[in-house]
Amino acid sequence: MNMTNFNLSGGYNITPKLRVDANLAYGRQYTPNTPDVTYGPNSIIYNITVWAGADWNIDDMRNYWQPGKEGVQSNYEEYTRYHNPYFMSYEWLRGHTKNDMKGYASVSYKFNNYLNLQGRTAVTTYDLFRSEKMPFSAHPYGREQALGDYREDKRNLFENNTDLLLSYDQYVLPKLSVHATVGGNIRTYEFRSSFASTDYLNVPGWYNLSNSKNPVKSYNFDAPMQVLSAYATADITYNDFATLSLTGRNDKNSTLPSANNSYFYPSASASIEMSKLVKIPTVKTWKIRGSYANVGSALTSRQIGTTDRALGLGVLDYGTTYYSPYDGPTYQNSSSYNINLIQGQAAAGYTGTISNPKLKPSSSSAWEAGTDVGMFDNKLRFDFTYFSSIDGPQIFNLPISGASGFSSALVNGIKIQRKGFEFTAAATPFRNKDGFSWDISANYSTYQQFLKEIYPGVDKLNTFLKVGDRLDKLYESAFVRTPDGKIINDGSGRPIRNSVRQFLGNANYDFTAAINNTLTYKNVSLRFQFDGRFGGKIQDYVEKKTFQGGRNIATVQGAMGIARLNDTKGIKSYVGEGVQVSNSTAIAYDSDGKVTNYDQLQYTPNTTATYLQDYISRWSGTNEATMISRTFVKLREVVLTYSLPKRYLQGTFVNQANISFVGRNLLYFAAKSDMDIEQYAGTNFGSDLQTPTQRRIGFNLNFTF
Amino acid sequence: MKNIYLLLIVLLISVTSCQKFSALEKDPNRPGQVPPSLIFTNVLYSSYYSPWSDVSRWNQFWCSNYAYYNDQTYDWTNTNFNYTQLQNVKQMTEEAIRVGLPANNPYSALGKFFYAYFFVDMSMKLGDVPMTDALKGLDNTQPKYDTQKAVFKQSLAWLEESNTDLQQLINSNDNSLVGDFMLGGDLTKWQKVVNSYKLRLLITLSKKSSDGDLNIGSTFSAVVLNPSKYPVFTSLDDNLKFTFNASTDKYPLNPDEYGKTATRNNMSATYLNTLVALKDPRTFIVADPAEAKIKGGLHATDYEAYVGASSGESLDDMSVKMLNGEYSPISKNHYYGSYLGEPCIQIGYSELCFNIAEGINRGWVSGNAEAYYSKGIQASWTFHGASVDANWEAYYAQPTVKYSSDNATALTQILTQKYLAFFNNSGWEAYINARRTGVPTFLIGVGTGNSERIAKRFQYPSSERTTNATNYHAALTSQFGADTDDINSEMWIFK
Repeated sequence: MNMTNFNLSGGYNITPKLRVDANLAYGRQYTPNTPDVTYGPNSIIYNITVWAGADWNIDDMRNYWQPGKEGVQSNYEEYTRYHNPYFMSYEWLRGHTKNDMKGYASVSYKFNNYLNLQGRTAVTTYDLFRSEKMPFSAHPYGREQALGDYREDKRNLFENNTDLLLSYDQYVLPKLSVHATVGGNIRTYEFRSSFASTDYLNVPGWYNLSNSKNPVKSYNFDAPMQVLSAYATADITYNDFATLSLTGRNDKNSTLPSANNSYFYPSASASIEMSKLVKIPTVKTWKIRGSYANVGSALTSRQIGTTDRALGLGVLDYGTTYYSPYDGPTYQNSSSYNINLIQGQAAAGYTGTISNPKLKPSSSSAWEAGTDVGMFDNKLRFDFTYFSSIDGPQIFNLPISGASGFSSALVNGIKIQRKGFEFTAAATPFRNKDGFSWDISANYSTYQQFLKEIYPGVDKLNTFLKVGDRLDKLYESAFVRTPDGKIINDGSGRPIRNSVRQFLGNANYDFTAAINNTLTYKNVSLRFQFDGRFGGKIQDYVEKKTFQGGRNIATVQGAMGIARLNDTKGIKSYVGEGVQVSNSTAIAYDSDGKVTNYDQLQYTPNTTATYLQDYISRWSGTNEATMISRTFVKLREVVLTYSLPKRYLQGTFVNQANISFVGRNLLYFAAKSDMDIEQYAGTNFGSDLQTPTQRRIGFNLNFTF
Repeated sequence: MKNIYLLLIVLLISVTSCQKFSALEKDPNRPGQVPPSLIFTNVLYSSYYSPWSDVSRWNQFWCSNYAYYNDQTYDWTNTNFNYTQLQNVKQMTEEAIRVGLPANNPYSALGKFFYAYFFVDMSMKLGDVPMTDALKGLDNTQPKYDTQKAVFKQSLAWLEESNTDLQQLINSNDNSLVGDFMLGGDLTKWQKVVNSYKLRLLITLSKKSSDGDLNIGSTFSAVVLNPSKYPVFTSLDDNLKFTFNASTDKYPLNPDEYGKTATRNNMSATYLNTLVALKDPRTFIVADPAEAKIKGGLHATDYEAYVGASSGESLDDMSVKMLNGEYSPISKNHYYGSYLGEPCIQIGYSELCFNIAEGINRGWVSGNAEAYYSKGIQASWTFHGASVDANWEAYYAQPTVKYSSDNATALTQILTQKYLAFFNNSGWEAYINARRTGVPTFLIGVGTGNSERIAKRFQYPSSERTTNATNYHAALTSQFGADTDDINSEMWIFK
């Protein structure tokens, strides 16, 4: 990725009371290729990590065209599903260019020392261009004719915020200062995008929409929006140690039904430096703080994908959708038809969501309280914050019986509480400027999310979640087990999979922790940090898929290794763990998938040998098999620095010079080392294929003039 | 400097000039109203069952021997309702009135057919389903379930009305139906579809032929005996079928797919071995010979060279045997050879012939069952491209094929041939007929899962447990005597 930025700003006092300011910032990102890494034949990780055979040499693939068929037919070991990684890297290119422009102009008039009127208009825009050049003989999902394609994804965002605000700044009493503003804002927004794709190419290697073999597919999306706001703020400070800030804002948003499109939201925060009020021995600094904030929003989403996806269509069966910043309307509350093509004709299907003319904006509020203390001349420091927020009532699709003709109704509901705390302790056990110093800091943080409310009359969310439950409970495909936990196999010697998803643990970690040390002796310092997240579960998708692809090392070791060889000779030899039902009684389940007739079932250890490939297919196809702990610890960073003594620099123009050895991501401890869990920070159930995290080792030279 | 100042003021004014605020709520990217023809296209497409699908594997027409993608298990869980399609039918009839069409118009007349089609389709997978309380949006978000019997009764009434409405439109030369990619807007063909489909429903109800409310036999004979009031299919040309093309709707098996799926899939015993046993020329068209048999000295023209795998066979055994060439692959030439494959019949002439033959056999109507039986077989041959002229005489001379004088044997013959004609056509019909009559015997084993039982129904959509719990539990109890959503419970129509 290449980036270019520049910035212009200027200001001028036309008269002592009248000032104009203007600023313009421009940035450009561009790259000829942004490779896909997620699962599919368009991803090098998929082609190599999961499915590449071990019986050929990757160096033989360097010449990626077949002789005499350059530009038309690539060269590889296999031609129906997989792709030569060199061919993908050099020929199958996904270009990306994004221009960002931000600017503002403002005029302010100072009536006197404490009253100021400002008019300001700010513009934020970007234009994004992404293209995909798919060469002949590439054949991802859905493009099996392998005749190449060309695609263009264009997105343009324009946002203008125009404010008029009056501000007041004055000591109203000795020691009591007030800074207050009242203002109004008009936010004018428009997002426009288009997506066009060929349907195969005529001329190999000519990437142009007019080269389409079948009619071009093209889509456009337009999303204008306007928000009118009035707001007021006040910051009150007493004697420089106690502050109180208050804000209030009222928005009127064009995305909402007109009956409820205006909404107010406040915030307040306060802090007091207690150490200035009371003197406690050994305590040098002590501060307490608290805040509350409420935010309203309405039928907008933060990000947007390609135009066809914005329209609810997916033109491509493969690849990752690139999301760009949006903050525009979702149009969820519009009763409308979705248009798609059937046998080349336009066809219309009605929305599955009932719109709601009484819909209100969504609301979320958060409060937090904290304190920080510095003791023993600040050689020991603590910082503690407790936070709690309620996200809701949200706007959500309330599932209703499909028999109503709709799958959901858009309503206000669902409250989710997020609460937790953070604690940091830091100490300097030794401090000697010319000898040995040691700084150590550690932090601990934890939070969980809980479902507090759904909707009147609704007692479950997403089939499984009840009020009071943690939001990150994982329900996934699981094995059927005996009361004492043994896997029950079917007559073919393969595990029986429960037809109802079962609870397999929580996705979110219990806590995160980090410890950071800096040791200094004269001119040499060593800094290193360990950190990690502890607890929670995740599916190791890499393990699942490498088992399925026969690329997992375990499939050539031990009993599996023997069975794998036997598979090729047509000998069934793999005997999976667990038992079989021995009294030919069918297992009965209730609607939650719990076995109801354990008392009638008898078991014997599984003795039925099967082919390893078939066993693995069933076993790894059950998500429970590849669930692992989400815990990991990293040696995040080690920095060894040598600073050149000042005396060598005297008389030179160099003020300071040092050299550092820097290592990042040096060690990783986790249940499995085939992926970096840290890349999955959310509460998603499973990992995906990923660009491997890199260990970086290098040197830094630093001069200060 | 004064100029810059002025410029800024102008800028402030120009970018804040107001847009029409209230107009911005509407989605400019999707239409709020459409002509009914666009919805018709959607409705028609959503009624379509494709060949080489999961359903056709559960019909035991073919097998997947590759567990990574598919298997033959009947471990069914939930299935979807059809109310999305039904809501579209409702929207279509409303939009037809909105654009100014008269109360009776092709969209409303065919809407009645599609109401019947989608309600019955859903009921055959589940049992009782909401009908009278359904499709009312927010006015009733927890609809009561209607019995399967009520669904069939109402559907037969809709079909009766649809036929009457269509007759009126045909009489007035109405040609306003647009968006019909199956029958080109020809209402006379649609009328035949409606009545032929009505016979299908009556046959499906055969176990309820003594039910006093439904009058199955007399309704059946009323249609068969009065072709001018109730025209039905008279040839293959009348089939309601999906036709494939080389760009937007390729046949699911085609040259792009051959490298991927040809060895993963094979023919099934229930279908292919029956063809072989009857020395049926469709054998050579739909399948390729088992490689091992050819190596053993047989020829592609020998019936014995064709072997299907039992759907009940363990997948690991099936995949090894397929690898060893012991089973017949799907015909490369016929199915993988082009993007067009063969059209996929949804409601067809062969089926109609067998339905009438069965109705005669059951004594619902008088007529020549053997003639309909023979026409049904011949139509299926012609559809697949097997020559009637070259093969019929020898084929029909076999006692296994010749219409038996024993009525029960003859019924089995009709049902067997009907099954063969359903090959990759008509969605669930092969399974439904086998459930109803036991013909053909579906093969079971480890490979079919579900403790070696053929599942009898699907579970209701899991959302019903949370969104419509009271009615859901009541429906289960009233149908099955227990509050269990069991895939092995028998639904009313087959009791």
